[in-house]
Amino acid sequence: MNDVGHPFLRGLLARRSPLTPTTPTAPTAPSVSWLLALRAEALERGSTLAVPTTRDEDWRFTDLVPLTRTGFGPVTAAPSLGADALAPFHIPEAGARLVFVDGCFSAPLSVIAAQGGGLFAGSLAAAFHTHDELLHTHLTRLADFRDDAFMAVNTAHLHDGALIVAEAGHAVPQPVHVLHISTLADVAIHPRLLVVAYRDSDLTVIEDHVSLHHGACLSNAVSEIAVAAGARVRHIKLQRAGKAAFHVATTTTHVERDARYHAVGIALGARLSRENLHVVQAGTGTDCQLDGLALIGGRQIADTHSFVDHALPDGTSCQLHKCIAAGAAHAVFNGRVLVREGAQRTNSAQQCRSLLLSGKAHIDAKPQLEIFADDVKCSHGAAIGQLEADEVFYLRTRGLDEVAARNILTYAFAAEIVGRIPVRSVVERLRAEVLQQTGAREIA
Amino acid sequence: MSAVLQSLIDQPYQHGFVTDIESDTVPKGLDESVIRMISLKKNEPAWLLDFRLGAYRHWLTMTEPTWPNVHYPKIDFQDISYYSAPKPKAKLASMDEVDPELLRTFEKLGVPLHERAALAGVAVDVIFDSVSVATTYKKKLAEVGVIFCSFSEAVHEHPELVRRYLGTVIPSADNFYAALNSAVFTDGSFCFIPRGVKCPMELSTYFRINTQESGQFERTLIIAEEGASVSYLEGCTAPRFDTNQLHAAVVELVALDNADIKYSTVQNWYAGDENGLGGIYNFVTKRGLCKGVNSRISWTQVETGSAITWKYPSCILLGDNSVGEFYSVALTNHYQQADTGTKMIHVGRNTRSTIVSKGISAGHSSNSYRGLVKIGPRAEGARNYSQCDSMLIGQQCSASTFPYLQVQNHTAKVEHEATTSRIGEEQLFYFASRGIGNEEAVSMIINGFVKDVFTQLPMEFAVEAGRLLGLKLEGSVG
Amino acid sequence: MSASVGKVLLAVKGLTAAVGGRNVLKGIDLTVRAGEVHAIMGPNGSGKSTFSKVLAGHPVYEVTGGEALFDGVDLLALTPEARARAGFFLGFQYPVEVPGVANAQFLRLAYNTVRGGRGKDELDPLEFDDFVREKMKLLEMDPAFLDRSVNEGFSGGEKKRNEILQMALLEPRLALLDETDSGLDIDALRIVAGGVNHLRSADNAVVLVTHYQRLLNYIVPDFVHVMDGGRIVLTGGKELALELEARGYDWVEEAARSKAARAA
Repeated sequence: MNDVGHPFLRGLLARRSPLTPTTPTAPTAPSVSWLLALRAEALERGSTLAVPTTRDEDWRFTDLVPLTRTGFGPVTAAPSLGADALAPFHIPEAGARLVFVDGCFSAPLSVIAAQGGGLFAGSLAAAFHTHDELLHTHLTRLADFRDDAFMAVNTAHLHDGALIVAEAGHAVPQPVHVLHISTLADVAIHPRLLVVAYRDSDLTVIEDHVSLHHGACLSNAVSEIAVAAGARVRHIKLQRAGKAAFHVATTTTHVERDARYHAVGIALGARLSRENLHVVQAGTGTDCQLDGLALIGGRQIADTHSFVDHALPDGTSCQLHKCIAAGAAHAVFNGRVLVREGAQRTNSAQQCRSLLLSGKAHIDAKPQLEIFADDVKCSHGAAIGQLEADEVFYLRTRGLDEVAARNILTYAFAAEIVGRIPVRSVVERLRAEVLQQTGAREIA
Repeated sequence: MSAVLQSLIDQPYQHGFVTDIESDTVPKGLDESVIRMISLKKNEPAWLLDFRLGAYRHWLTMTEPTWPNVHYPKIDFQDISYYSAPKPKAKLASMDEVDPELLRTFEKLGVPLHERAALAGVAVDVIFDSVSVATTYKKKLAEVGVIFCSFSEAVHEHPELVRRYLGTVIPSADNFYAALNSAVFTDGSFCFIPRGVKCPMELSTYFRINTQESGQFERTLIIAEEGASVSYLEGCTAPRFDTNQLHAAVVELVALDNADIKYSTVQNWYAGDENGLGGIYNFVTKRGLCKGVNSRISWTQVETGSAITWKYPSCILLGDNSVGEFYSVALTNHYQQADTGTKMIHVGRNTRSTIVSKGISAGHSSNSYRGLVKIGPRAEGARNYSQCDSMLIGQQCSASTFPYLQVQNHTAKVEHEATTSRIGEEQLFYFASRGIGNEEAVSMIINGFVKDVFTQLPMEFAVEAGRLLGLKLEGSVG
Repeated sequence: MSASVGKVLLAVKGLTAAVGGRNVLKGIDLTVRAGEVHAIMGPNGSGKSTFSKVLAGHPVYEVTGGEALFDGVDLLALTPEARARAGFFLGFQYPVEVPGVANAQFLRLAYNTVRGGRGKDELDPLEFDDFVREKMKLLEMDPAFLDRSVNEGFSGGEKKRNEILQMALLEPRLALLDETDSGLDIDALRIVAGGVNHLRSADNAVVLVTHYQRLLNYIVPDFVHVMDGGRIVLTGGKELALELEARGYDWVEEAARSKAARAA
């Protein structure tokens, strides 16, 4: 037995995804030397890093032992799905659609946007042939895998993924839907997304993780989003994995001068999910809005770690994260806001509000504010508790019984975040899902 | 930052002199023989030596905490003298026999020890380096059954009380510095307020570090029995030395049913010079146990000194309906670093806690609030409210807030709010345009900022603390 | 004073209530008949709003004595929602914001619940939409309000109009409007008052809780009661409100005392 590294990580790295595709329809990534070097370095890092434990400050509330105890194999052959399998996840507003089945790009199910119309949306593997320089510049530029075991493992497997590019000055009218469908249990997949929005472009990306089974599987995702000066990107992340799934994801976003970034993250599924959101305000005058919702029950764990890095002056960030924990669920929120020296006139507001619906549910919240500049306006707040008694009373004076009043308020608590998604059909579908989970049938 | 602002905060340390007094100081270094020697010098019973040795052996297995947001070179624990005491001439029969040099020292510090000259209504225990040199008003307090004496004296006069409570709130292996303190503590104050007694005067301990190479490891234990109440004040100063000195105190409070303990600190240890040279490392463990129903423990601290402050006065709210409070003003300037806050551990039903923390950073300093609010699974109806505000003065300092909220009971309600503000040129200009000068403006802004905490301080302390903040901040704004 | 004698809708006798062990209502007697408008006035802290909330069943208050019959039914034994379904309406001084629930959803739900409680058919979303838009015209409200979250981001006047809209929808037999005039400019006040007047009938009654007289220029009361220290200390006709406006509340205590002396 190898005495460096962690057996779990070694297991994940043992059979790496080949550069050749696992499905005949997927394009083959070329043996680009820089990519091979990157994969080799990531393999080396992944083999020496440890799986974090609750002794690590970043993981103190989330124990990964249930994950590391479970073995996951690689995907050797992904099933081909019919178009009908897609129907429940169809987003009519979407222009381009990139579908990955168990991590493998499915060309027949996808609607790609070829270059020319201001938008490119296609598979990474194919893009290695057409966008070599762009990929060389951007891949792993934002998501540094060197100190993160999960990102290192993802990068060691890097051979395909989704690439979305908005050309300079181009406003893409329709959202791009990146759909990951899990059909197999006991496998680990390593989804990769790269979004490059050039100067003054406008783009909406829906990153969607769904499951067709109830078995254990691991999705270890890395997304990189580069928002150039004056551009505007909306990134909607829907995590609707199966209730026995593990979902670990890191999204790193760089926002440059006067650019805007709006992220909405909705976590409904997975036995254990961990979302790392890292937003760097790398230009002056940037504006970021982060909205998050974790709605969980049973024995689910949903952990969100966000880090907003105000590196330059005149940036704005506004974050609202909500957790609703029922059953024996455990929600975690760690929201770090850093205002670096010189990032004057930063305006940052962060709120975390959590509802505990049952006696066994619990919540750990850790908002962090670190400020190294004096001319700033920063606040954070965290509130954990039950529904407001006055709100329940107000609804009762309008004739609703107490259970209905509580269900509606719980629904409303979640719906506030859902309503911030800028895609109407997604809002409606999620509202229905939230209605069902909160039992607020009265306003269906 | 403009010069006016800077000169407003940069006031010399007023307590930096050294008293020339003959001391009995043990050589540097720490091993079991040093601990046995301390115990022997203090003529301690065997159980206390065992307590020390147990703590020491555990300490050897521990490592220094690295999680606080503070940075300093590694401390060489063998380069510290663990005992230093002014040589007594003989056993003191009255205050008049205290070494006149010591009396002058404390008079200079504003703490006269002659009862006729002392602050009216405040009993004082004075700790000079490792030992208690005097306690005032002992007799008057004894009349109502209140025991207020040095810790060493309590070990001899009230061993059953000390033994019953020592280490029950902060176990000797609690953390690195608490374990070190448990091994080598030298003296401190002991207060016992018997059942039903409202302590008739404020109790106060004044700590003074004098010797350059010594560490200070005092231990304070306060017990309020059923229905008792007490207000306790603590003040600290040290001379200016270019080397850093370690202060690792332990304070344990126990409140039984319906008891009420109010603990106030004005910490003004030497903070080092304007380049960050010297100053005290203030690594302190303070914790109160609200053991009984309806009990209340309230911590108020004004932290202005020390090169590094690492302290989290905490409350364990065990008794149903018990109340924990933490009011803090922490001011850092130059190269000072503070990582301070509290822990509110809600165990009992309907327990309530309030946290109000005001951090002021100036110069190149770093000021962090770190707090834990934990609601246990049985803490039905528990409530916490935290307000943590930071004020930044200048562009080289930092302010951080690290609250940890852990809630395991769904009937609980926990709220945390934090904001930042500043004193900058525009604010001062606005004041000036209304005819208010810089000094007054700064004073108004700061006083407004800290008001919620200062109103918690006993009157004499509030005045002293206000004066101290003013001195520390003079010149920092402009 | 109205000479007509309607059916007794609300009969409060000796009502006392406490919050956190402190007595806040110290014996209130009030009879409201169908067709009447009552105004309850009084200085801040006199117990007006408390009285409103106790009648609506706010859980913070503990009723310690007395009774309140609503159309002969023990109001105090009902849950807040049962009171609403029975036809008792409280217009809130500070209507609660409910982000995430569209006003239209909320209004229809409340409407259907209360109607269902009275054995009437529910309206589907389309029928309701027509119905509510009609009612909104009455209050000169922009239909865009239907799509916004309940009270969220509403101005003070918009919130109060939304309260009266709910009153119009729920058609209560007794509406108790708590400081409905506060925070309203003169136009909004006129609209709100117009809405209330429009909803008045011989079968229902309105109780206005207000600090100021100005609302009473628009909704003319039959009776004016003055509260102080958790009691109704003085009752008169609409001219009493004008007197209060002119002389302030200080003289009330004196007047109450002399009245008591005359009675003795």
